[in-house]
Amino acid sequence: MTREQRRKAEGGLALTLSTLAALMGLFWLVFILGDVLLHGVKSLNWSLFMNDPAPPGVEGGGLRNAFVGQLMITLSATLIGVPIGVLGGTFLAEYARGSRIARIISILSDIMVSVPSIVIGTFIYAILVKPAGHFNGWAGAVALSIIMIPVVLRTTEDMLSLVPWTVREAAFALGAPYYKVITQVVYRGAATGILTGILLSIARVSGETAPLLFTSFNNSFFSYNMNQPVASLTVTIFQYAMGPYDNWHEQAWAAAFVITIFILLLTIAGRLIIKWRYR
Amino acid sequence: MAIGSGKNPLDLVFSSLTAIASFSVIFFILGILYVLISESLPAIERFGVIKFLTSTDWDPVKESFGALTNIYGTILTTFLSLLIAIPVAVGIAIFVTEIAPDFLKGPIGIAIELLAAIPSIIYGMWGLFTLSPIMSSHIEPLLKRIFGPIPLVGLLFQGTPMGIDILTASVILSIMIIPFTASISRDSFNLTPSVVKESAYAIGATKWEVIKNIVIPYSKLGVFGGIVLSLGRALGETMAIAFVLGNNHRITTSLFDAAATITVTLANEFAEADKDIYLSALFYLAMVLFIMSFVTLALAKYFLLKAERKYSR
Repeated sequence: MTREQRRKAEGGLALTLSTLAALMGLFWLVFILGDVLLHGVKSLNWSLFMNDPAPPGVEGGGLRNAFVGQLMITLSATLIGVPIGVLGGTFLAEYARGSRIARIISILSDIMVSVPSIVIGTFIYAILVKPAGHFNGWAGAVALSIIMIPVVLRTTEDMLSLVPWTVREAAFALGAPYYKVITQVVYRGAATGILTGILLSIARVSGETAPLLFTSFNNSFFSYNMNQPVASLTVTIFQYAMGPYDNWHEQAWAAAFVITIFILLLTIAGRLIIKWRYR
Repeated sequence: MAIGSGKNPLDLVFSSLTAIASFSVIFFILGILYVLISESLPAIERFGVIKFLTSTDWDPVKESFGALTNIYGTILTTFLSLLIAIPVAVGIAIFVTEIAPDFLKGPIGIAIELLAAIPSIIYGMWGLFTLSPIMSSHIEPLLKRIFGPIPLVGLLFQGTPMGIDILTASVILSIMIIPFTASISRDSFNLTPSVVKESAYAIGATKWEVIKNIVIPYSKLGVFGGIVLSLGRALGETMAIAFVLGNNHRITTSLFDAAATITVTLANEFAEADKDIYLSALFYLAMVLFIMSFVTLALAKYFLLKAERKYSR
């Protein structure tokens, strides 16, 4: 083989391998999603949303308690996490713009985004479950909000930084104080981006299981009481999938299907908004 | 920098509110560290630091606890998953940046992002019901037939393949971290100035030679940062492997054995710990994990920032 042929062969081989790698990534996506869809659609029915769980081993029943519980926990987490995240991001991008402390907090938030969520669960257990004496829904909501805050904070910071400084100067020139400039001018300019960040952070926390295992725990009964253990879809999936009953496994697949579709739709919506707004 | 703040009382209120909100991040990190240390004090006093980290005991009945089996499982699964994930992720990044026609770049990018968006509990459940049976009936017996008779390497493939083991957990973990590594590598590759690439093409380099000698050396810092970030993620991953690792507190040499990681131990035992010292030992484990992943993630951030500074020059 000549030198040229060898170079070509080596290149061809390497490029083929990386094409195969891309196909492998696609393969896993199709495999996992396809599996969840197939199993999920088969097990999906109305009683899943309308009924509470049947006693273990008894056929039928549904996961109404878990759907409602998941909604309550995620909603509370959003109500706690979003204001703190948006305000925090505002500080970094406006009042502390360019300062050392803003840089440090920004870097720490990036690290916080990836800190193991189960560790946050143990932290909340120590400060909210142990003193209360029992698992409760608020603890789960706070745990999720701690995961949410750095995500929202960083997106808000980035989005506010994209608003041109001249826009603020124009508002200052009219005599507006800084807080009015931020709330009435800058926020409007960055609203779509911040909203996208919020959507993605909701998507992120609605799939979280580990921080709920020993905060909101689980509850086989329907309950609106956030001071007591609250069922969530993800913890229920964990319990049911590990359990011995086929009927539990089917319901776990159905719950997995619902939660996956919800998260993928939110993610895709977020991407589409970014694409449409920041082309 | 604070323009006009302090002149208006409402502005002072608003700026203080935003400051408090952003300092909450520092408060959480210090708070987590403080709470984990104070909750694990009983276990620290009883088992010490070096002894806890090097002991393989994990016996709730005799109240004797050591972290080594958990740390071993955490590091082993993380290492194996990176071994599988890195070549695939870098391959994907090369494909997306250099090979794929433009109309494919978008869809593949979205597919990778969706893979990252799937919650870890779904990976775990899929692993338990779908991947694990495939591993135990097809892939693991095959590996055992091929590698089992080889001395030394064979040690890794001993025992009955059950599918609930280190290998299955590592494969699931690798699928989970491919998206992170791939998207950071892609972004780093994209930052290579096209002038440099074009000059290499101009002197007759093939596409692969440009990638190998120009793109990869130019972006290796960013790619490395992405790998360390994935490492930090993999250390703390819980639900994806909680289903298929088996929670076995022993140090094993075979990839077909069940094991325990810090995260899996916490997930399985935390809510059931009935004694104070047991709970304290679990908090101790959580602290070890927090420090391990925090240091790793901080390193990753350091490399990524350094890479960013290099490119922006």
